[in-house]
Amino acid sequence: MIRLALPKGRNLSTALKAFEAADWPLDSLEKGDRRLRIPFPEIDAEALLLKDWDVPLYVEYGIADVGVVGSDVLEEVGGDVLVPARFTEGRSRMSLIGKGGLPKPGQQVRLASKFPNIARAVVATKPWSAEILKLWGSVELGPLLDLSEVALDIVQTGRTLKDNNLLELEAVREVAPILIVNRAAYQNHRQALNGLLRRMEAAGVVE
Amino acid sequence: MKVSASLPTGVAALLFEGARRHRRLEKTMVDMLEDRGFQEAILPVVDYLRPYEDLLSSQSRSELYRFVDRDGELLAMRADFTPMLARLLAPHISSLNLPIHLFYRGDVLRYQEERAGRQREFYQLGAEVLGMEGGQAEEEALIQFLDLLRVGERAHLVVVLGFAGALDRLLLERSGDGMKASDFVDAMVRRERRHARKAGRALLEVVEDGVPADPSVLGEPAAARLEALRALRKRLAPRFPEVDLRIDLAEFADQVVEPSLLGEIGTRAYYDGLVFRAFAGAGAEPVGAGGRYDRLFSSLGAEVTAAGFSFSIDRLLSPSSEIDR
Repeated sequence: MIRLALPKGRNLSTALKAFEAADWPLDSLEKGDRRLRIPFPEIDAEALLLKDWDVPLYVEYGIADVGVVGSDVLEEVGGDVLVPARFTEGRSRMSLIGKGGLPKPGQQVRLASKFPNIARAVVATKPWSAEILKLWGSVELGPLLDLSEVALDIVQTGRTLKDNNLLELEAVREVAPILIVNRAAYQNHRQALNGLLRRMEAAGVVE
Repeated sequence: MKVSASLPTGVAALLFEGARRHRRLEKTMVDMLEDRGFQEAILPVVDYLRPYEDLLSSQSRSELYRFVDRDGELLAMRADFTPMLARLLAPHISSLNLPIHLFYRGDVLRYQEERAGRQREFYQLGAEVLGMEGGQAEEEALIQFLDLLRVGERAHLVVVLGFAGALDRLLLERSGDGMKASDFVDAMVRRERRHARKAGRALLEVVEDGVPADPSVLGEPAAARLEALRALRKRLAPRFPEVDLRIDLAEFADQVVEPSLLGEIGTRAYYDGLVFRAFAGAGAEPVGAGGRYDRLFSSLGAEVTAAGFSFSIDRLLSPSSEIDR
């Protein structure tokens, strides 16, 4: 049996469509499903519905064999997992946002983000420095209310920024939902997983 | 006065049943090694850093716990047994009665970023075979490894086999076009199919099946080496039916031997022949690993064949290694 760790958040619909395109219909599962473990006996699989941030840990520790998670989340929390494919749908970007321009060389600023580890890596490549403020949500409020000069957050359409008179200063990462696999599970279910990946590639839902 | 029972990040204390299980498994493994003529080497937990400077990659350097002692000496806590054993034996190798069978056990300390479940202190038990004929040393080390692995009675056991330098030619040929060889190595190790596909059918086959459909694409001597590995696997598989023996060259893509690649890829890459890793249950971290490492001795001025392995007792006893679906 293969156990899937699926994210409750923004990447769930992308994952469901992709699995369906690869002849693994998980159609009894939908956003808002209250069940934590959902069996799919017809494909000898079981799905776990998890918070996005927990998916890498469940896969790394082998509780789930395969998971779907945002590349932003995996980069932030880390994880010794295989990353065989990126989904073609559901992509966005991680950007520096603020009210004015980028900080000037040598300037020390405050940077608000839900992704402090990525923020540190981004700042390390800049000619300016920053105190990182970890926020749990509404990161745009940081620069809007002068808690911080800049913020680092996911931008999809840019509408929230526009509605709040904020600017996308620089896109620093492309963000995509990715398929991750436990290293031992890849050895144990290699044939089934390669078949699944090939079907997803043929349907154009992953690259 | 109230005293906190908390411990620093990445270390653990074993009490009661946990300690008993640990010692029981360790004793079984030690008894087996001693019965087979392996002698124990007891090594210090700190050593000078200097002898290891040239052997350290950027990754292993960043994992070291080092400090200046009161005499002003730069010291390092033990992070790996094999280089320490090699540097102690290399100056005397010509005067020793070869072959030598040694085993060791104890803690190693490696700094790891703080993350759930990630340890910084590991209890290792390992063995080394020195001075045996090359192919024989590799086979001997692998057989001992497989024998010890099965006494752990873990869930589904998979041992992945490969050899250092197997993909060097393909990596060198495909690097360029915006991707360095180290990028390809990362992509292979993480099974990133889009990068492997970009590099051509052979690397995608290695990612999918562990080996290319046409071994000749590996070039020589790698193609002949793959044939020898297949023969070794075929010989050993019936002897260890409870272990799933697989050949997977992608698993060891970072174990390079080409000097130009070695400089670029910063791993603990001292292997230069057979390499193997064991997975138990669902754990992502190998419970044991080993291989042939003549190069480590030659870099210390001693010409001798060397093969060995080590187990992580903690990982062998972890709940992940008991998961069997």
